[in-house]
Amino acid sequence: MPPLSPDQWRALSPYLEKALTLSQEECARWLESLRAENPDVATQVKDLLHRHEAAEREGYLKDAPFPNASPGIAGQTLGSYRLVSAIGQGGMGTVWLAERSDGRFEGRAAVKFLNVALLGRGGEERFKREGAILARLSDPNIAKLLDAGVSPSGQPYLVLEYIEGEPVDRYCEEHKLDVDARVSLFLDVLGAVAHAHANLIVHRDIKPTNVLVAKGGKVKLLDFGIAKLLEGEGHEGAATQLTREEGSALTPAYAAPEQVRGRPVTTATDVYALGVLLYILLTGQHPAGSEIQTPAELLLAIVDKDPKLPSEVVASRQEIEPSARNLPEDADKFRRQLRGDLDTIVLKALKKDPEERYASVTAMAGDLRRYLRSEPITARPDTVRYRTAKFVRRHRTAVAFAALAIIASVAGLVGTLLQARTARQQRDAAIRERDRATRITEFMASMFKVSDPYQRPGSITAREILDRSAQQIEAGLAKDPEAQAHMMYVMGEVYDSMGMTSQGKELVSKALDLQRKALGTEHVETLTSMSLLGVLLTEEGQFAEAEKVQQETLATSTRVLGPEHQVTVRSMARLASVYNMQGRNAEAVKLKRGALAIETRVLGPEHPDTLVMTNSLVSILWSQGDPALYPEAEQLQRQALEIERRVLGPEHPDTLNAMISLGVIFRRTGKYAEAEKIYRETLIIQNRVLGPEHPDTLVLRDSLATAIAKQGRYQEAEDLYRETRVAVQRIYGPNHPHTANSTYNLACIAAVQGHRDQALLLLNDAIGHGLGVNTALGMETDEDLTSLHGDPRFAALVARVKKMAAREST
Amino acid sequence: MDARLSSLIEAAEKGDGSATEALFTALYSELHRLAKRQLARGGGVSLSVTTLLHEAYLDMAGRTGTSFPDEARFMGYAARVMRNLIINYARDRQAQKRGGLFIITSLGNENLDSAADGRELAEVGEALDRLAKLDPELAEVVDLKFFCGFSFAEIAAMRNLSERTVQRMWQKARIYLHQELRADTPV
Repeated sequence: MPPLSPDQWRALSPYLEKALTLSQEECARWLESLRAENPDVATQVKDLLHRHEAAEREGYLKDAPFPNASPGIAGQTLGSYRLVSAIGQGGMGTVWLAERSDGRFEGRAAVKFLNVALLGRGGEERFKREGAILARLSDPNIAKLLDAGVSPSGQPYLVLEYIEGEPVDRYCEEHKLDVDARVSLFLDVLGAVAHAHANLIVHRDIKPTNVLVAKGGKVKLLDFGIAKLLEGEGHEGAATQLTREEGSALTPAYAAPEQVRGRPVTTATDVYALGVLLYILLTGQHPAGSEIQTPAELLLAIVDKDPKLPSEVVASRQEIEPSARNLPEDADKFRRQLRGDLDTIVLKALKKDPEERYASVTAMAGDLRRYLRSEPITARPDTVRYRTAKFVRRHRTAVAFAALAIIASVAGLVGTLLQARTARQQRDAAIRERDRATRITEFMASMFKVSDPYQRPGSITAREILDRSAQQIEAGLAKDPEAQAHMMYVMGEVYDSMGMTSQGKELVSKALDLQRKALGTEHVETLTSMSLLGVLLTEEGQFAEAEKVQQETLATSTRVLGPEHQVTVRSMARLASVYNMQGRNAEAVKLKRGALAIETRVLGPEHPDTLVMTNSLVSILWSQGDPALYPEAEQLQRQALEIERRVLGPEHPDTLNAMISLGVIFRRTGKYAEAEKIYRETLIIQNRVLGPEHPDTLVLRDSLATAIAKQGRYQEAEDLYRETRVAVQRIYGPNHPHTANSTYNLACIAAVQGHRDQALLLLNDAIGHGLGVNTALGMETDEDLTSLHGDPRFAALVARVKKMAAREST
Repeated sequence: MDARLSSLIEAAEKGDGSATEALFTALYSELHRLAKRQLARGGGVSLSVTTLLHEAYLDMAGRTGTSFPDEARFMGYAARVMRNLIINYARDRQAQKRGGLFIITSLGNENLDSAADGRELAEVGEALDRLAKLDPELAEVVDLKFFCGFSFAEIAAMRNLSERTVQRMWQKARIYLHQELRADTPV
C-alpha cells in the first residue's frame, strides 16, 4: 500500500484514534460494524492497525538514537545479577531489568545506576555501608533493596526488588477511588514509612513516582534512603537542589522547607512529603498551587507559602476547570468529605516548621484512622479564636507598617534612609496606635459574634466581617447618628490599620459629615475625625489636601480646645509629618519641636505621650539625612531610653523602641558593633515578649542582619535574612512589598558575597513580586549590588525596573 | 540573543515564519554550546539528552527573566531543534567527520556502533516535518519521545494529558511514520 495522501490521513485519523482506545476484541467488533457502514474506510483502518502491530513487533522507533541508558552493558553481570535491558531513565540514573545469574531464586530485579561520582575510596565504602543498612529494611510495602555496589567502571548501583505498578496518584485517578479508599491506601504508605523510621531510616524523597501500586492494589515504596546515598558529604542545601543535573532535583516539588533551606533532614521531613502526597491524592494539585511557573518560584513557595485548604482547592478547581483530568468525578462529594478533619490533618503535616507537624508518621496515621472511624482527631484546626488572634496580630502588623506604605509612596524623598526610617516610623505608629488597637480588638471580637453561626469558621475572612460590619453600621445605627458616626470613625481606623486607606477614608468622611451636622464643626469628636482624615489623606499621598485639613484642625482646635489639648498637639505632630513627607524639613522639625515642648510642659518629661513625641522628633531629625542633626537625635534618644528604662521597665515596648532607634543611629553613623550589641539585647527581649515571628521582631532581625553584614559576617547575616523572609512571607503573602523587600535583602547579601546567579534570581523574584519602586530604582546605586555591575542580566533587570517605573508614572 | 528569545517565541506562536526560523537557529546554537560545555566538563557523569534540555531551559530562563515561557512550551521547541542536532550528528559521524559534536560521545564508543543510521534518521526527520503539517502535536510527541528520550509520563506531565493519551498519540504517529517510510514492508 502506497503512503497515504494528507487528505486520506486526515479522513482516517479520527477512526484510528478511536481504534487505539479499544481492546483487541472490542476493536474487531467495532471494525465489523464499520465495515457494514463504510467498507473502504474499514479496510484502510485495518491496514493501518496492522502497521501498528508490525511496528510493535519490529520495535520500530523503540530505541532512541542516543539512548539515555548507559551503553553496551546488557548481558553484563553485577554481583549475582545479569543485566537484561534498560527499562527506564529516572531522575537519579538509569534503571535496568536484571535476572539472578546463579539461578538460585526465580524472579527479576531492577538495577539502578546512580548518576553520581563517588569521591574516592571513602565514598565507595560509605556507599556500600549505607546500602547495607538499607538492605535491612523489611516491610511488605517497601521495595526491598537486595544489593548495593559499584560497577567495574566505577558507577554505583543498587539492586532492588522489581515492581510492576503505577504511581499512586495515577492509580487513584484511574481507579476513581473515593476519599476513604484513597486514605486507606495512603495508610499503607504511612505504615511502610513508619517501619523505616523505626529503623532510623528517613526516605527523603517521597513522591508519587516512588510510591507504586502493584497489581492487586498493594502499595510499594521505592528508593528508601537513596536520596541520602546520592548526597555527597557536605553538599546539601538549596543551591545544590537548584543546580543539580538530575531531573528529579531540578524540580524539587516534594522537598520540605528544611530541605530547600539546607537544614537538617529528619523524620519530620518525610511527614511533610507525605503531606504533599496526600494533598495531591485528595485534590489533584500540588500544595504550592497551580500558578507556579519557575523552579525558583517553587522553591520560594515551599519555604514561604501556606497551602490552601484541600477542600477549597477542589472547590475552586471544580469552578475553573470542571473537566480537568485529575479532578475526581464526584468533586462535590470530595469537597464535602475533605472539609474539616482531612483539611486539618493535611495542613498539619504541611506546616513549614517541622516542630509544628505531626510528631511522627504514626501520629498522622492515628488521626487518619480516627477520621475513617469518624472519631475526633487530635490535630486542631484554625479556630475562630485562633483566627481572631491571627487577625489581631495581622492588624497590629498593619498598624506597624502603615507608615512604611506612606514612605514607599513618596519617591526620592527618603533615598538611602529608607530602611532606617522604616524601622523608626513603624514603631512610632505602632505605639501611637496601641490604645486604638486594644479598642479595635474588642470591637473585632464583637463582630465575630454577630457572624453567621451556620457558616464554617474557616470560610469567613476578617475582611468579610469588616465589610459586613461596615454595612451594618449604615443600616443598624441609622437612628443614632452620633453612635453611628463614632462607629464609623472606629471602623475607619480599622481599615486604616489594615492598610485599606480608601475604605477608611470613605467611612471617616461619612463620620465627619454626620458629626458636623449632629455636633457642629468645633466639637472635639468632629475635630478628632478631621485629624484622622488628615492622616488618611497623607497615607494616600494627597499631601496638599492633608495639609489643608490638618491646618484647619490645628487652628480650630487651638482656638476652641486650647493650645495644650491632646487633639491640638496631635494634629500639630501630624501636620509635621505631612511637612516631612513633602520634604519641608525645617518646618517639620520646628513643629515637632514645638509639639514636644508642649507635651513636656503639660505632661512632664516622663509621660508616655512625651516620650512618644520624643521618638517621633528623633525620627524626623534623623530623616533629614543631615549629619549636623545626628548628635541632637542621639542625645534625645539616649535621654528617652534612660527615662523609659527607669519608668516603664526594660521590657516595655517604648523602651524597646528607643533601643532600636538608638541602634539605627549607631548603624547610620558607622558604629556597627554598638548597633549589633543593642539590637541583640532588644531581640532577646522581643523574642520573649512578642514572640520570634512578631512583625516587630522580624523588622528587628532584618536590622540586626544588616549590622552583622556590615561587619563582614555575611553567612551569619544571610541565615538571619533567610529566616526572616520565611516569616514575612507567611504573614504578608508572596506578593507583598515587605516580602519583596525581604527577598531584596537576601539578594543584596548574596551579591555582596559574590553569588551572582543567586542574587540575580532573587532580584528578579523581588521585582516580580511588588518590590517598592524606590528600592528597585535604587538598585543601580546600591553598593551591596556592586558585584553585579557589568552583568548583562543585571542591566536587563535595571532596564525592566525603569520601564515599570515609567509605566507607573504615566 | 537571550533577550530576543522570548519575543521570538511569541512571534513564532503567532505564525511568523521568519521568527520561527530565527528561534530555531538561536536554540540550535544554544543547545550546541551547552552540549560542548557539558562535554568539556566531562567527568564520570554521562549526560542524557533530557538532562541537557532541562539544563538548557534553566540556563535560558535564568538569563531571560520571568517572561520566558514555561518549561513545557520550551521543550516543544527545543525538542524539534534537538532532533536536527541529532540527525546532523548521526550524518556527520557516518561521514567520519568527528569534529565539533558533542555530548553524545560521552556515552562511549560501544554505543556509537549501535546508534541509529544517519540516513534513516534523516528520513524520519523529513517524514516528521510532513506529519507536523498534518498534526503538529503528534510530531512533537515523537521529537520528545524518540529523539529526546522523554518518557510518556514526562510528556504527559508537560502537556497536561494523561499518559494513556500520550501513548496513543505516539502509536498514531508511529503508524504514520511506518506507512510513510516502510511502505513496502509487508504487514
